[in-house]
Amino acid sequence: MIRYSIFTILFLLTAFVVQQFLPAFTGLHDSRVLLVQLVFLCCAVTVDVPTMLLLAFIGGFLWDAQCALGPHGGDPAVYTQQVESLRFGCSILLFGAMGALMHGIQPLFKQGKWQFSAVLSGIAVFLYLAAEYAIISFVRGDLILSKATVSQMAFTSVLTMLFSPVIFWFLFRIAKACNHSIYPEAGRRRRQQTC
Amino acid sequence: MKPLNLIALLLFLGGAVWALTRSDRAVREIQNAYYSAISPFLKSGSKMETQARAFLQETRHSKELEVELETTRKELGRLSLFESRTRALESENDQLRHALDFKKAAHFDVVAARVIRRNPTTWWQTIEIDAGSKQGIGTQLCVLSDKGLVGKIDRVDNGGERSSVLLLTDEKCLVAARVEGSPEVGIVSGRRGASDGDPMLRLRFLSPNAVLQKDQKVFTTGRGGIFKPNILLGTIESVEKGTLDSEAVVRPSVNFAELDSVFVVLSADS
Repeated sequence: MIRYSIFTILFLLTAFVVQQFLPAFTGLHDSRVLLVQLVFLCCAVTVDVPTMLLLAFIGGFLWDAQCALGPHGGDPAVYTQQVESLRFGCSILLFGAMGALMHGIQPLFKQGKWQFSAVLSGIAVFLYLAAEYAIISFVRGDLILSKATVSQMAFTSVLTMLFSPVIFWFLFRIAKACNHSIYPEAGRRRRQQTC
Repeated sequence: MKPLNLIALLLFLGGAVWALTRSDRAVREIQNAYYSAISPFLKSGSKMETQARAFLQETRHSKELEVELETTRKELGRLSLFESRTRALESENDQLRHALDFKKAAHFDVVAARVIRRNPTTWWQTIEIDAGSKQGIGTQLCVLSDKGLVGKIDRVDNGGERSSVLLLTDEKCLVAARVEGSPEVGIVSGRRGASDGDPMLRLRFLSPNAVLQKDQKVFTTGRGGIFKPNILLGTIESVEKGTLDSEAVVRPSVNFAELDSVFVVLSADS
C-alpha cells in the first residue's frame, strides 16, 4: 500500500511535466486535456483518505505554482481598480473537494466498476472548472457567463474524461507491480466464483 | 470518522491555510523553484519541438523556398536602403539636437523573441516566449509586435531562457489609454469569456458624454509606469454610454491568434 501511494505521487508529478506539453485546442474554444486533475481524480478513487488528501495538497499546490499570475504593478494612482485573480492555494481546496467527490464512489470502484469513476472524473473536472470560474467572478465582482466559456468547460471535461481509461490502465499496472489490489472486492468475488 | 482520517484532514486544512496566506513575493519564490525543477524537461521539450519544426521546414518544397529566398533578398535590399537612410537621418537629428542643446531621447532597446507556447493556463490569456533573464528581460516589461501592444512580462523563469507574457486580451492586463483626436482617456483591459475567435478589449472610465467615432485609434498614454506612450492598442468598435461613465469596445490591432514573434522593450523609462 505504501509503495503504491508513493508511486501515485510520482505519477502525479509526472503528469505535471507532461501537462506542459499538452496544447490548448483553439478550434474547441481553447479547451484542453487537464491531465494533472485527471491523474489526481483517478488516483483519489484508488487510495485511502490520508493519501488522497496528500495528493490533493501536492496537486493543488503545484498547480497554483504553475498557473498563478503576478501582481499588476504600475502606479496605483493610475490603476486604481486592480483586477484580482485566483489566490494561491485555492486549488488545494478545490482538489480536496474533487478528491472527496471521487472518494464517495470508491465502494463502486472496489467492486470493479471503474466506468462509473471514469464518468465521474469528467463531471468532477466540469465542477472544478465551474468552481474556479465562480471564484474568479466573485473576486472580480461581476458574473459574465458566455457561451464560449461554458463550451470551453464542457469540451475540457469531455476531452479529459476520454483519457480516464488510459490513466486507470496505468494505475492497474502500477498496482500490479506493487502487489497491491485497487479493487479487492471484485478480486474476492472472482476467486469465490472460480472456487 | 477514523482518527487517522481526522488528523489527515486537519493537516490538509492547515496546509491549505498556510498556502492561502503566502505573500506575492513568497508565491513568486515558490513559482521560481517549481519552474527551476521542471526546466530540464521544458528545455528538452523545446529542443524536440525546434528539431521537429526544422524537419518540417526541410521537407517543404524547394521551389517554395527559392521563391521565399528571392522575396527575402529583395526585402533585405529594400531594408538596407532604408537603414542607411535612417542612419543618415539619425546622425542629422543628433547634430541638430546637439546644436539646439536638446535632451537626448530615451534609448529604446528591444529583444526579439519567438512564441513557444500559447495559453498554457485555463483562464488566463498568456503566452510563453523563448527569451528570459539571460537577454535582460525582467517582469513588468512592455511586449510589442509590429502591429502594436501585445502585453507585459508576467514571469521570468529562473533558468533565464523563457518568460511568460500576460496578453492585452486578459482582464488583468490594464493599460492607461487615450483616443486619438479626442480628449478622452481611460483604462483598456481584456474581456472575460472572450478567449476564442475575435477577442475585443474594453476601454473604461471615459466621460459620460464621450463623442467617439468607429475606427478611431487608441494609443497608450504612457502613464502608470509600465507601458511606453503612443503604442497602438486598437481601434474603436462601438461606444456604450452610461450615467457615470462611458465604455468603448476596442478591436485590438494585434492578431493574437497568429502571433509568432514579439519584441520586449528593455528600457523602462520613456
